[in-house]
Amino acid sequence: MNSRALTRAAATTIALIAAATIGSELSAAFKQLLSSIGGHHWIGKSVLSVVFFGLLYLVFSKVSDDSFTLKDTSLLIGTVFVSGLGILSFYVLHA
Amino acid sequence: MSMVNPLILIHAICAEIGLFAFLWVLVEMLNPSETRIARAQVAALTGFACLFFAWLVGGFYYVEVYGLHVKPLIKASDAEWVYSIVMEAKEHVFLFLPILASLTAALLYKYDGELIHNRDASVSIVLLAGVIFLIGFSIAGMGAIISSGYRFALMTGMV
Repeated sequence: MNSRALTRAAATTIALIAAATIGSELSAAFKQLLSSIGGHHWIGKSVLSVVFFGLLYLVFSKVSDDSFTLKDTSLLIGTVFVSGLGILSFYVLHA
Repeated sequence: MSMVNPLILIHAICAEIGLFAFLWVLVEMLNPSETRIARAQVAALTGFACLFFAWLVGGFYYVEVYGLHVKPLIKASDAEWVYSIVMEAKEHVFLFLPILASLTAALLYKYDGELIHNRDASVSIVLLAGVIFLIGFSIAGMGAIISSGYRFALMTGMV
């Protein structure tokens, strides 16, 4: 298992969840596309998060070496907080 | 639909067990030894399994019950913001947790005994477990607000 690739896949997937969340509120067509995956846009995002996590791990494991450092974790945690606050701020501003 | 649905109870209990399992991981990894790493591995697997189950149960409840019976009541009440801000943020930020939980468990099993000397990996696990616990309990707080919003909607005669 490539730890750096897994950490980068997690960070990218979390950023994509935030982007898909905001994107689906701004575009009815995109929300409909997500709904078509599992009958509900939230199921669509859930399924895609698992699929992208797996696919991104495969991609990053091809391009990343396994020299895992605290910097990789810091980048992931930064992405988690920016994505979480981004989602919350979006709904506060668009309520 | 004024009764508390058992699914929401199962969802909340599983999620909280999962979150406390990651708090356990955090504590074990503050000063790792072979025994503590073994316990942390069990805790992380338990935590991941509980969060994954909470995801499935909560998702079923959200799609089959909340959307049909709870959301319309909250939306029609003065507590509409509970739906448009709190629930919307909660349901999406929750999706971060299974990813972070699986990563934390994977790191624990990959580095195993090496965690005694590999400071970057052990500190990473402590930080990730802390983030899971922090986000998870923020989400639990949001869940409490949503339940209060539903009760408020019922009490103000929106049924």
